[in-house]
Amino acid sequence: MRAFSVRIPLSLALALAATQAFAHAQLEKATPAVGGTVASASEIRLEFSEGVELKFTKVSLTGPGGAVPLGAAKTEPGNQAVLIAPITKPLAAGVYTVHWHAVAVDTHHTQGTFEFTVKP
Amino acid sequence: MPTLKIRSAGALLSAAVALWLTPAYPHAVCGARTFPATIAIDDPGVLDELTLPTVSYVPFNSDGAHEWDASFSWTKTITPGLSVVIGSGPTWEHPGGYGWNALDTELQWQALCIPDAEFMMKLGFDISWAGTGTGIFEGTGGQNTYSPLVVAGLGFGTLPQSLKYLRPFAITAEFSTTTPGQDWTNGNPNVSTFNWGFTLQYSLPYFNSQVASIDNDFLKRLIPIAEFAFQTPIHNGGAAGVTQTGYFQPGVIYQADKWQFALEAMIPMTGATGHGAGVVGSLDFYLDDIPNRIDEPIFPHGFGIAPGI
Repeated sequence: MRAFSVRIPLSLALALAATQAFAHAQLEKATPAVGGTVASASEIRLEFSEGVELKFTKVSLTGPGGAVPLGAAKTEPGNQAVLIAPITKPLAAGVYTVHWHAVAVDTHHTQGTFEFTVKP
Repeated sequence: MPTLKIRSAGALLSAAVALWLTPAYPHAVCGARTFPATIAIDDPGVLDELTLPTVSYVPFNSDGAHEWDASFSWTKTITPGLSVVIGSGPTWEHPGGYGWNALDTELQWQALCIPDAEFMMKLGFDISWAGTGTGIFEGTGGQNTYSPLVVAGLGFGTLPQSLKYLRPFAITAEFSTTTPGQDWTNGNPNVSTFNWGFTLQYSLPYFNSQVASIDNDFLKRLIPIAEFAFQTPIHNGGAAGVTQTGYFQPGVIYQADKWQFALEAMIPMTGATGHGAGVVGSLDFYLDDIPNRIDEPIFPHGFGIAPGI
């Protein structure tokens, strides 16, 4: 039992030493900011804790007038953890809701919703 | 003989308490909600995880002794919704001595996850194996003890926008019974207990990603939490002279991407539990989030027997 308890931390240390960026993709930061207020917005930028699979990661936006069309989302060059979805036309004043569903590069699923406000 | 009965019952109860407090507690993700690994009760998820170590100190336990406990717990998924947990660890008591708690194994099934409701539930069956304790626990493992359990968690993310600051709240609860293989051993009563507990937690990671951005990198990873865990004798309690025990454990969890650290006070809720506030800390690694050779289910696609299996 004691030998077992010693081997585990050793193996774990080796595993951690080799750790790359693999985990559930949690939203760390967004632009427009989560719960924030902006004068205008030309894109939705989502910064995740881990890289995401673009093919399986979805973003949608709804506002006072219903669904807002977004351009094709892409990840930032050289940084798979940042997802950018262009907003194709100017946003009217009001409260908008972002829905996202991310699949991390290790296939873990996460999702979330947040609001931001475009001031008049 | 009465003294022996009480000591034996007390030792069994201590073993049951230790079993109840042995963390086998993987973090869990359901929809937008991440339920962190918790210390006093299990959490509602089934994932690959290693809790190493959990260390606790209580100044006066139910026997009036100073007590240190250390434990580990390894959760390994067999299929995406089915896992096996193995755990144990040593206890030091003064006065009293030293010993390893009985080896504990548990089968867990992720019975339900409703992402939009942030609700998940798992079922489990735990066995504490006779004869595997050593030292002060050597005489307390005359028969296996069996614990069927259910654990559920609910996030408050479905609350209306007007209550958005309450959305980071979540509750989890666990109910189980611990039953020894025999009611009596050599004329001494073996106590069966109903174990119940719940947590109330406020997730700042959830707040940061769903409600309002938090700029401070440390603050946005904290989860203030209050845990409650009780053991109520349901059979042979009177014969053994034992009554309800339980702890209130307020504290905080720091949740990183691949690990977490929890630190909580241990405040006894009944006179039979002990006296004086203790402390417990736990380091937990999310093996499913760490690249290694053991992070995937042994059968990643399951068998098609039931959801997750």
